Amino acid sequence: MSKHDTPLLDELEKGPWPSFVSDIKRQAEKKPECWDILGQLELSYEEKITHWKHGGIVGVFGYGGGIVGRYSDMPDRFPGVAHFHTVRVNQPSSKFYSTAKLRAICDLWEKYGSGMTNMHGSTGDMILLGTTTEHLEPLFYDLTHELKQDLGGSGSNLRTPACCLGKARCEWSCFDTQAICHHLTMHYQDEVHRPAFPYKFKFKFSGCPNDCVASIARSDLSVIGTWKDDIQIDQAAVQAYIKGEYKVNGGAHDGRDWGPFDIDKEVLALCPTNCMRMNGDELQIQTSECTRCMHCINVMPRALKPGKEQGATLLVGAKAPILDGAQFATMIVPFIKIDPENEFQEVIDFIENIWDWWMENGKNRERTGEAIQRIGLPSFLQIMNIEPIPQHIKEPRSNPYVFWKEEEVEGGWDRDIREFRKRHAQ
Amino acid sequence: MALSKEELKEAILAKAAKSPKPQLYVKDFHACDPDSKARAVKNAANELVKEGKMVFWSSGSTTMYALKDRAKDEEHRSA
Repeated sequence: MSKHDTPLLDELEKGPWPSFVSDIKRQAEKKPECWDILGQLELSYEEKITHWKHGGIVGVFGYGGGIVGRYSDMPDRFPGVAHFHTVRVNQPSSKFYSTAKLRAICDLWEKYGSGMTNMHGSTGDMILLGTTTEHLEPLFYDLTHELKQDLGGSGSNLRTPACCLGKARCEWSCFDTQAICHHLTMHYQDEVHRPAFPYKFKFKFSGCPNDCVASIARSDLSVIGTWKDDIQIDQAAVQAYIKGEYKVNGGAHDGRDWGPFDIDKEVLALCPTNCMRMNGDELQIQTSECTRCMHCINVMPRALKPGKEQGATLLVGAKAPILDGAQFATMIVPFIKIDPENEFQEVIDFIENIWDWWMENGKNRERTGEAIQRIGLPSFLQIMNIEPIPQHIKEPRSNPYVFWKEEEVEGGWDRDIREFRKRHAQ
Repeated sequence: MALSKEELKEAILAKAAKSPKPQLYVKDFHACDPDSKARAVKNAANELVKEGKMVFWSSGSTTMYALKDRAKDEEHRSA
């Protein structure tokens, strides 16, 4: 029996699609505090203003992250959500878990919280929505001791690292995303659980340039698999695609008649760098021009594969649009070996170089990408001890990266400009 | 020369007590000892939380530090 009238929310139950309103109503039959979520949301729809407050000192002992305090600003009217804290649970790499584990987490949350979850939050974590302060420690104890799960990151911490399916299920993955994601999560436990930085910092790992975790748009350090040598080509399979014997895109666009496959139109003409051509029956790719866009591989997966010399590209500085608009990550290191044998030391060295600089020089609430934008890419490259290369240039003449220092110029800055102009008219 | 960890912790507590703002960013404590590395300042502040002398205040996206009795506590304001 509904506690509040919700005519506006009820509209969201109409239509063929699943409705979160129906889900909350169903949960409210078991957990009456959920009626107050609906009541407060209805009021927000009417008044076009949120009634949630967030932030505070709630947490579990020893941790400075993983719990986000949530409060209603109308606790008398909606007592069920007066305190309604969010818990972030660190997901397993690639979000692999058994249904038994998922049931156990849901049972735990029915016991200590509202039973409402967000699978998964955009952070990657499992988000458990709505509990009170006194339930936090018992929940944390059971979560860690019985389910062997840990809290994720929040606040000015290293956020829960996230990765794509990687080599577990994807033949295109150029490195073991799960291995590095798990290793760095364990290596940086202190940074995940206690604030360390001027603001949040995120790692995300994608095994190939398809970037299935969208790391290039969402992470301060984006690690994207790539390769150095030629794309592997099976010419017989290319012909099989041309003859219609294999389904393009692995059959992903079946269900509509797109006509016969046209390799010129659907692959060669769409190559962003025009690095491909058919020489008679032979497909040729000029590797030095390839930007690893993955389109040809996506269209003809049985004919083309990433090269054999595999590693990753490191990009830095993506963020969402709070200040100055959304920003993609900038490519800093075009190729690095991702080596589990030495426990990913090259990547760790790179990360800690960034942190050492950002912790000293980043302003309060300034993301790494914003700090780089403030000082300029050339200065950042200098700080990171990275030689500028043409790939750091966005487009000719728009972001010059070569800046002469006085000691590098013959005569320094003190040359006689009148003498110079006698020989070089303006 | 950088302060010892104990001296740094004292300086952080003093700054947190004197500051007109009840909650401070970790960066605000860097001025306690310009010779200390940012990481050392962060570790000292986190140790004070572990000892129960300070608390973390988190908005969800950012974390600040406060003396236990100065933190702005939504818990009690909204109860």
